[in-house]
Amino acid sequence: MTKNRCAAGRLLTVLVALASFAVLRPAAQSVPLPSQPDSLKFAVIGDSGTGDQAQYDVGQQMANARARFPFEMVIMLGDNMYGRQQPQDFVDKFERPYATLLGAGVVFFASLGNHDNQNNRFYKNFNMGGERYYTYAKKNVRFFVLDSNQMDPKQRGWLDDALKQSQEDWKICYFHHPLYSDAGRHGSDVALRVSLEPLLTKYGVNVVLSGHDHVYERTRPQKGITYFVAGSSGELRKGDLKPSGATAAYFDQDQAFMLVEIGGDGLFFEAVARSGTVVDSGVIRRQGKT
Amino acid sequence: MTRHHAAAAHPIVRHHERRGAARRALAHVVDRFLLLPIGAAIGLVWANTAAESYFRFAQPVAFFVNEIGMALFFALITQEIVEATMPGGALHSWRRWSVALFAAGGGVAGSAACYLGFVGYKYETILLATWPIACAIDIAAVYYTLKTIMPRSGALPFVLLLGIATNVFGIFVVMPRHPVLATHAGGATLLIAALGLAALLRALKVRAFWPYLMICGTLSWIAFYREGLHPAFALVPIVPFLPHEPRRLDVFADPPDDDATHHVEHEWNEAVQIILLLFGLVNGGVILRGYDTGTWAILLAALVGRPLGILAAVGAAVSAGLHLPRHIGWRELVVVAVASSTGFTFALFFATGLVSTGPVLAQLTIGALSTAAGSALAFGAARLLRVGRFTG
Repeated sequence: MTKNRCAAGRLLTVLVALASFAVLRPAAQSVPLPSQPDSLKFAVIGDSGTGDQAQYDVGQQMANARARFPFEMVIMLGDNMYGRQQPQDFVDKFERPYATLLGAGVVFFASLGNHDNQNNRFYKNFNMGGERYYTYAKKNVRFFVLDSNQMDPKQRGWLDDALKQSQEDWKICYFHHPLYSDAGRHGSDVALRVSLEPLLTKYGVNVVLSGHDHVYERTRPQKGITYFVAGSSGELRKGDLKPSGATAAYFDQDQAFMLVEIGGDGLFFEAVARSGTVVDSGVIRRQGKT
Repeated sequence: MTRHHAAAAHPIVRHHERRGAARRALAHVVDRFLLLPIGAAIGLVWANTAAESYFRFAQPVAFFVNEIGMALFFALITQEIVEATMPGGALHSWRRWSVALFAAGGGVAGSAACYLGFVGYKYETILLATWPIACAIDIAAVYYTLKTIMPRSGALPFVLLLGIATNVFGIFVVMPRHPVLATHAGGATLLIAALGLAALLRALKVRAFWPYLMICGTLSWIAFYREGLHPAFALVPIVPFLPHEPRRLDVFADPPDDDATHHVEHEWNEAVQIILLLFGLVNGGVILRGYDTGTWAILLAALVGRPLGILAAVGAAVSAGLHLPRHIGWRELVVVAVASSTGFTFALFFATGLVSTGPVLAQLTIGALSTAAGSALAFGAARLLRVGRFTG
């Protein structure tokens, strides 16, 4: 009986391993986060604000991850709040799931998604300064946060100016709707891509992060820029991704978040599933320094 | 073989016949404002087969079409309305307006309430400000739908008034909310100068419309643009200064051959048709999986909210002592209300006037295009209720 149980256990382990292999295909080369003391460390969540158990699980996993990787900030890729957005919802869908992180002084920087009330830009824990789009710098990295719901001429003009003036080594742009995505429900927003991509390439943006599609995906560099979709930190659309030639790695079987570390000319990243398993990792070398 | 058959078989005769038929088909398309849906259909196919090349074409052209070219379209519409509402014009009598105004108010209230209710229920507050799109009525589409169902009916002028009143209201809401790069002072001065010059040209009895368009229109366009108002409406305040003659017929009908009146719109009608084709082409292309809450909200508001609002308002007006237009009963009114759910051209224009490039515009565009279903529903309702050509 015990022997049978052991055999069944081994079989299950093999099946799980095979399933993980299938899910993570095409697999990325495993690159651990160096966790250097002077580097910029942050986490990434997208489409998180459901208030469901899965969001709380991800929040707990992020708190666990912080013990080995002490990130000081979290960037939010939009849809930070689904459904009703009354004061109690800010507690249930943001403050409680990330209570450990907030208590430890981790700072969140949000962008707005299609489900977010535009007035959420005034919520102090989102640190948006009351703006739909804004920029801030941390160490040698400048972040450009956009409202991709609509790319009005004013916002596009602002981005042009902000990118032009940026002196930092790294330029990271994040907003809700992905310019490149192989997910089935929404996919790439081509109209937005045609509007934004010329600016991103002109000024040498290194990495773009988005949500909206409830999966994790990393693209091969497109015109020199690596695109991430990380829209499964609360919502999940299981099995939605149909990889294309542009897909470098993906994970669409469970909720996930990202950990990122930037030091010198390297941007190291990990995508971590709700279970704590690292489902993708790698390093992006700054353009011109590879 | 008869002589007639021999002549008909001659290649030159066949060639001329084909050219004649092609010309008639083109005239039919142009007269019924069908170039816009044709442009939109081309854009839709293009965007869903080669998205990147479509948007690379459409985005740079959109400004010239939507904000410059469409000024001519709205000038033409204004010209038609001004002439039709002059003494002797088809829409001069204010008695005709009363029930139509009630219907327009009910339609706006019904569609806006439905739209805002659905969007609020889905908590998609970003869509709240776009409610005017749900109220728009494609006057030409509704007119020709009803003309096909019930030709020579009193429903035609009624629906024109309903559409005009609704869209004028929409224009006043959309005009100041146009997303622009920056606003500048001095627009009001320029507009006063444009109006002053137009008044001067009129006093000098200048009958050619080009000076009004090129001098006054350009000044007015710059004024609108600087003030952050939608410049497509820049010719609207200039048009009343143009020389006019009252129109005896319905707004979309051509004057008879013996009508000596010179309507300036004939001179720019062809240009407007090309602009409408381009307008459909650069704005109608949307990737179909971009549908979302806004799409359903527009459809629900247009196909359900507006007809119900119109019927409720007309019911209230009749209860208050007003009369239905001549030869229109409640069955005909139901068909009119259903037909008026087509927003198409104006809904598309309001969408581009209120929202910039991005996924919100995409979902609203799909909704605006889908309201074309209103025409098919009107035929279905007419058949069901045995109205017009389906009588007996």
